Order: sequence, then C-alpha cells, then structure tokens
Amino acid sequence: MLEPVMFKGGVYKHDLVLELVEDLGGYVLQRNVTQAEIILLLLIPSDDMATMESLVKELRGELTRAPLAGTEVAVVTPTLAIHHLPHVACDVAEYLRRFGAKSNMIGMARGVGKKIAQINEFEMDLINEHDTAVFLFGNFIDCILGKEKLYRNIEVPVVVAGGPEIPKGDLPYAFEYVSTVGRQAHRSRKASEIASLDKIVAAVGRALDGMRKEIEMDPLTTSPPRVMDAVREQIPDIERSFSPLPIALNLNGCRIKLPYDEYSREVEKVAFDEGVTLGEIARIAPSRMKNYIVVRILPMSETGFVF
Amino acid sequence: MDPLEVVAVEVPGEDYGAEKYREILLDILQDLGLYKSIGRIYIYSDIKRPYFAIYGLFRGSLPPLKVRDMGDVTQVEGGYQIQVEEEQHMDDLLKVLWAKYGREGVDQPDRDILIVATESSPEDLVVTDIEVEFRQDLVDALGRITPEGFRNRRNEMNEEGFFFLASEETIVPKLIDEAKEQIRRMADA
Repeated sequence: MLEPVMFKGGVYKHDLVLELVEDLGGYVLQRNVTQAEIILLLLIPSDDMATMESLVKELRGELTRAPLAGTEVAVVTPTLAIHHLPHVACDVAEYLRRFGAKSNMIGMARGVGKKIAQINEFEMDLINEHDTAVFLFGNFIDCILGKEKLYRNIEVPVVVAGGPEIPKGDLPYAFEYVSTVGRQAHRSRKASEIASLDKIVAAVGRALDGMRKEIEMDPLTTSPPRVMDAVREQIPDIERSFSPLPIALNLNGCRIKLPYDEYSREVEKVAFDEGVTLGEIARIAPSRMKNYIVVRILPMSETGFVF
Repeated sequence: MDPLEVVAVEVPGEDYGAEKYREILLDILQDLGLYKSIGRIYIYSDIKRPYFAIYGLFRGSLPPLKVRDMGDVTQVEGGYQIQVEEEQHMDDLLKVLWAKYGREGVDQPDRDILIVATESSPEDLVVTDIEVEFRQDLVDALGRITPEGFRNRRNEMNEEGFFFLASEETIVPKLIDEAKEQIRRMADA
C-alpha cells in the first residue's frame, strides 16, 4: 500500500529523495521549489517508509503524512466578491493544501442571497470533477438551510461550513456540517479559528475515506499515479505546461493540463507494459476546467482486469 | 474595548449571526479607518423577511483638509517649503498648488518636499474636503457589511447620521417604516 507523505527540505541533495522514491516504486506527485527550499508530495510504499525516513533525517529534512495527497478539493463560495473572499475561503483552501490536497477555489455566478441563490449546470459539472467539495456559507441559520438547493444535486460528497451550530439532521444532503467557519472579515489567526480549519480537514478526510472504500469494492483497472507516470513518460509536452501541477490526481483518475483538441488522441494512445492503452481502460473527456483533459479510469467490473 | 460609543446588533432568532456581524462591522470600519467619525451604530436584521438595516450617528463634521494639516510650511529663499508628512493626499495637494501657482511655480526636489514660488504662505489653501471622502468610504463600508445577496439598497444620509436598508425584496415604504421603527426601539432601549 502506498502512503502519502510530504517532504520539506533544502534543494541541496533533494535528488537523492527523488532517486529513492523511484527505487522503491513510489511516485512523485508534486514538486514545488521556493528559492532554496523544496516541497515534494510523494507516494511511498508503507513497508519502505523507514528507509525514506532515515534518508530524510540524514538530509535534515522533514517528512510528514499528507492524508489528502493525490486528491482535488473544490472550495466553493457563493461568489468571488469581497463579502466571501479572501479571508475564510483562502484560509480553508490554503489549509487543505498543507495536508496535501490540490484545492481549487470556485465562486458561483449567482450563489448569493437567501431566495435568489442558484447554481448552474456548468458549475455543477465543474464541482463534480473534484473528489469532494467544501461549501462555505455565512452566519445565519436560515440562510444556510435555504442554500441547500446549491449542493443538493452534487454527486461528490459535500462538506458544508458555516457559522452557527446546526444539527446534522437539518442538512440531509451534506456529508458533514462544520460550524464556527462562517463569514468573517479577518484572517484566521486565533487558536479556535485554526481548530475550526482542522475540523474541515478532518471532515474532508472522512469524505475521501468513504470514497476510497467505495472504489475498493470495485477497484480501478490501474491506479491514477501509474497513469500519471505513463503520461509524463510518453507525452513530453506535458512538461511545457505552464500550470504548477501539470497533472492533477483524483481518486478515480486525473486531469491532464493540455488542450483537449490537440492532445486527446495522444492521451488515448498512452501504452502500458501490460499491452493495453489508456483509451481502453479509461474514459477520456474534455474537462470543464479550461480546455483540459479529464481521465476517468474504468473499474474492474467494466474492463475485467486489474494491473 | 470598542472604540465606538455604542454598537448594537439585533437579529431575532440568530444570536450567533448577530455576534458575528458585530465583529464584521468592527473589522470593516477599522480597515477603512472610519472609527473616529462614527459615534453610534445600530444594526437590525430580520432574516425571515429578509432585510438588513444599519443606522449610525456621526461624531461631528470633519473640517476641510488644509495645506498646514499635511506637514510643516516654512519660508525659504524664493518661496515657501512644504515638508509633507501625510502622503495620502499628495495628489490632491499637487493639483491644488498647480492650479494656484502653475506647474512652473511648484518644485519637488524630493519625494516629500515641495517648494512653492510665492510671496504669501500657502498654508490656508484647502486641499480636499475630507467629509466627501469619508462619505464615499462609508457607503463602501455599508455595502461590504451587508450580506451580499441583499441587492436592493436604500441609503439616507444627512448631517447627523445615516440610515441604510438592504433587502432581497423590493424596498417599499412599509418596509422602510418597519426597519426605522425597530432601530428607534433599539436606540431608545
């Protein structure tokens, strides 16, 4: 089993970490260089974790568990106006990233108001491309209950965050409700505010665990990191993508940040050692995010094999 | 301790929301530097209807900003020197000086130093009307404090204070009267 971890350390000799990951049969999900520091998101076989830990200790780096690594989380606000941004939404998005998730902020076009709030099909499809969504609402119970229509038809688990205490039974379409994260006009600095962000991370973690269990019941034909590696190897143009994360992983596939019209055929032809192509084991479709490519790996029940 | 004399927020059935909106109000007034000029603020909101009303009283009118308020004015050879300490209104100051003395009559040897070629001191020249700026900032603050979905807005402002009402529904005279009545009740309590 692969364990998601985050390596933080100096750029000097970090290639030793990359080499070890390769030797152990792990994956490098993300690589961020900030001046002399580097942050790596890695998947390491759990049996070999001790080997990696001793190398990291030798390099004076830091290795922490990143339970949300390899997932994409949508942080949804009613709009992108000053009423909702930047404080709470940025705090939540940034805090999710610290635990390894790739978080995307989405502001709805007409999500405001109690009676007039609405979500359109495009927004719904875009949110459904993520592994889970966090909806950030305000401080009034009546408004939070009234905005249930915004996420009722979302297929992925939705963690709802708002200010007041609301019994879970009052929000049947939410996976979980996290209180004390309503609208505020300052950054989260107090210990109680940081604790609220921790509660969101825990709720997102539980939502993802539930999805993982669902996937385990009918396993994917191959794992998303393996697809990522094969695409990186066989489509070199991916390295020229301007995106900081050219391939974003999901639990059931990935998003390749190349134009769909130009590269979808190439993606379909990506071959594996087992003699199959990606087009045979996955659904390749245009993403709702820009003109990217979404890869959804088919489960064993559809292809008849797992590798 | 709150810098304002009175801050009262009332939202029937939404105690948490009322407390949080009090925080939001104070944060936004602080961000925009409006504390000094507002004495009392009352907020009443009925989320079931829904509407959001804010009533505030000013602490007194602000005098116009003059050249002497912006820094030291001293007589030097060939005119007067202004050592600017308050750079926020530098553009207004330059516009006023250019209009009065012409561009050739105003020299800026350093970022915060202006030399005006004149016989009489420019210290009494009015740079800008701060009152107008304050009211613009106040309208901005009221829009930020109000929940975003309340798009129908009405703003009444006079010498003493302001009354701001926002709602999702059309604002009719009956709603205005009701909101004012609630605010009056809070102020009298």
